[in-house]
Amino acid sequence: MYEHGGRTAWVVGAAALAATAVVAAVLLWVGGYDPARAAAAMWSGAFGTRGAFVSVTLVRSVPFLLTGLAVAVAFRAGVWNIGAEGQLYAGAIAAVWVGIEGAALPAWVLLPAVLIAAGLAGALWALIPALMKLRLGVGEVITTILMNFVGINFAAYLVHGPLQEPRGVFPQTEQIADAARLPALVPGSRLHVGFAVAVAMAVVLAAVLRWTRWGFRVRAVGASPRAAWAAGRIDAGAVVLATFLASGALAGLAGGVEIAGLTYALYEGLSPGWGYTAIAVALLAALNPVAVVGTAILFGALEAGAGAMQREAGIPAVWVVAVEALVILAVLATDQLMRTRVRGAQTPGDDEGNVSPEPARA
Amino acid sequence: MTPVLASLRGLVRRFGSVTALAGANLEVFGGEVHGVLGENGAGKSTLLGVLGGVVRPEEGELEISGQPVELRGPRDAWRHGVGLVHQHFTLVPSLTVLENLSLGRDAGASGFALPQTRVRPAAERMMARTGLSVPLDELVEDLGVGDRQRVEILKALLREPPILVLDEPTAVLTPAEVDSLFDLLRELARQGRAVVLVAHKIEEVLAVADRVTVLRRGRTVLTSERGGVDPHRLVRAMVGEDAATQTAVGLGAATGGVVGEASGGLLAGEVVATLDGVRANRASGAAALVDVSLQIRRGEVVGVAGVEGNGQRELALLLTGRLSPPAGVATVPDGVGFIPQDRTVEGIVGEFDLVENMALALHDDPDAGRGMWLDWPWIRQEAEAVRSRFGVVAPDVGARAEGLSGGNQQRLVVGRELRRARDLLVAENPTRGLDVAATAFVHAEIGRITSVEGGPGVVLLSTDLDEVLALSTRLLVMTGGRLLEVPEGSRTREGIGRLMLGGLQPDV
Repeated sequence: MYEHGGRTAWVVGAAALAATAVVAAVLLWVGGYDPARAAAAMWSGAFGTRGAFVSVTLVRSVPFLLTGLAVAVAFRAGVWNIGAEGQLYAGAIAAVWVGIEGAALPAWVLLPAVLIAAGLAGALWALIPALMKLRLGVGEVITTILMNFVGINFAAYLVHGPLQEPRGVFPQTEQIADAARLPALVPGSRLHVGFAVAVAMAVVLAAVLRWTRWGFRVRAVGASPRAAWAAGRIDAGAVVLATFLASGALAGLAGGVEIAGLTYALYEGLSPGWGYTAIAVALLAALNPVAVVGTAILFGALEAGAGAMQREAGIPAVWVVAVEALVILAVLATDQLMRTRVRGAQTPGDDEGNVSPEPARA
Repeated sequence: MTPVLASLRGLVRRFGSVTALAGANLEVFGGEVHGVLGENGAGKSTLLGVLGGVVRPEEGELEISGQPVELRGPRDAWRHGVGLVHQHFTLVPSLTVLENLSLGRDAGASGFALPQTRVRPAAERMMARTGLSVPLDELVEDLGVGDRQRVEILKALLREPPILVLDEPTAVLTPAEVDSLFDLLRELARQGRAVVLVAHKIEEVLAVADRVTVLRRGRTVLTSERGGVDPHRLVRAMVGEDAATQTAVGLGAATGGVVGEASGGLLAGEVVATLDGVRANRASGAAALVDVSLQIRRGEVVGVAGVEGNGQRELALLLTGRLSPPAGVATVPDGVGFIPQDRTVEGIVGEFDLVENMALALHDDPDAGRGMWLDWPWIRQEAEAVRSRFGVVAPDVGARAEGLSGGNQQRLVVGRELRRARDLLVAENPTRGLDVAATAFVHAEIGRITSVEGGPGVVLLSTDLDEVLALSTRLLVMTGGRLLEVPEGSRTREGIGRLMLGGLQPDV
């Protein structure tokens, strides 16, 4: 699948974005909108003012960044974790619970506890599909997606039931203690320290993948499980398990950071699908953690611009969802095109000249 | 005069860096059963694939019934009257036998009736005629391999193709079924059809074939009437004798075919690996190794010859600590180098550069960094050392391994694994697909490490008899999951060839 790799990755990313822009412009035009006005509105909404950039674009980029890292590290190991959404909700639930129940604790204990609980909960949520994959051979693509529905609906149940705010009016939890809240990163803006935490995670993850033994094993298993086993004597199962848990923890942290930094409470529909968009964020970054910072900000800008586009150009914000989907398609298509051009058509058959059997005629 | 139904001339086909066909010819007459023999990797399946339309040759000509044709796929081949029975199964497991037999058949004149209704009586007639009996209404996934093989053959026979091509059809049949299959093939030939049959076992081919073609390293080395050859001549043609001697280069060339005698025991030192009564199973549960015991000492080259799939793979995995035996005791050292057969899949990571590929062997080495961190500059030096020492042609160690030629990938793997092989080196067909120079290089390296005091022991698993004969100080044959020591007097190509191909006792 898609992997890291210097200049090619940049070319793929840039080409994919260009293709997305062209297709989106055509679609808008067909839909009867003015693409130029849409672009201008988006730009002003995302980057137009310092306030727009810091308080909207960057704030929106935080969940993309953390879930994007979750997807990137999993995909690097060949673990197709599509479950960042559910893991995010698991993290959010844990964060809210700790943030409320630990109200008596000082901030220097409570705040780390909230974030750690969120990470642990995400990892635990990922442990279920991980064990199903390793012990039972059940494909993680299906199980992680299904776990998303469980996580989303479990959160919905909690905010209508056991964790609903005391008055029982709104479908949300009560607010977490002040000591559990992330301070502002830029005074006077909505940007919270969670952004810095997320960027730090990206740097740590990049360093781990590049310079540690564990990171090397992750890359080897992701690039070629057979060679990792035969030449590297790497226990792929252990690597897959550890990576799955790390991925879940990052996604859970995304939920925790959103609670502790922005909403201070859990409510139904907390995430509009960040865990899914994260796949586009990670792929566009060629699964490179540092590049995920850039693509997450880009997606944050898209979300920020969507509102402005609706207000100023009268284009429904839902168009942005289409654009995000186009990015995924464009990245996959461009990547495949590059491969085909670079390597040429693959010949069938293995080293012995055995050919694969003809497909059954139907 | 019988007509030439199919004629293949000068076929060349490469798969990556491996040349599967290097000028193979095959001429098949109507009314004959034509046997095709050759060792593993000699190009038999590829040759049949060309005739069956599943492999397109790069060079060469193909004529069917006197007309030059170009086959674009299996359907094309069917249209030209070639029916191919694959070595691999091509049945749909979730359909019944009858449904599988009906696949791809017309619905008949009305266009509505399901083909099964017409296929059932035809299938029943064919089963009665051939003695190949299969349960038509069972799901294929519930059948054993023998039954599946029979379904494959029936499927091809039902179309009554003028040219029937069977790739190793007998491997999973019982002797009685083999007999009735052969009767059927002869019957088909009597009707004027041509039958092309690939088999490993010489005796089988001689029992049914009117003519025989032998392939060796992608070339046709012999075509003869059955009366014109005996098993010895065929074995010699398959494993090579005259030509083989010239290509046995490296250590083998320097010492001829009796290396074992010359150096065996001289340097053999302490025991580095021991297998004691070891068993191993395949994924299917079938026994892969049956009560294997083996000791390997420093300085010796233990050659293991045999037809592929007789347990060599499991033996290699046991010796390299990648498999633990369900029964018996395997004592293997830490410093094991492993040259896997399929280097592009198992030996290297294509998208990794040379340094990262070096790290595959070093990532858990205490010298390769502190604690959790990897010392990439040090690993780079090691990669540089392997590159220069083993002459890996690459722009630099930052180049991706997938860009290297097959021979250079192999040099990289050999160099890395030799560095690792302080105690033991296990090599699976280490020169398969390599050119003469690269082969000589690998052979010389194996000779070099074992001639050094305190050097490792080597286990060489190879289907290339020239190679095991040239390099081994001790010679074993693996057949049916057992190891047989080759007696001194049988250290000839014929002796070993007979032992490994038919499981017969050496008779020379």
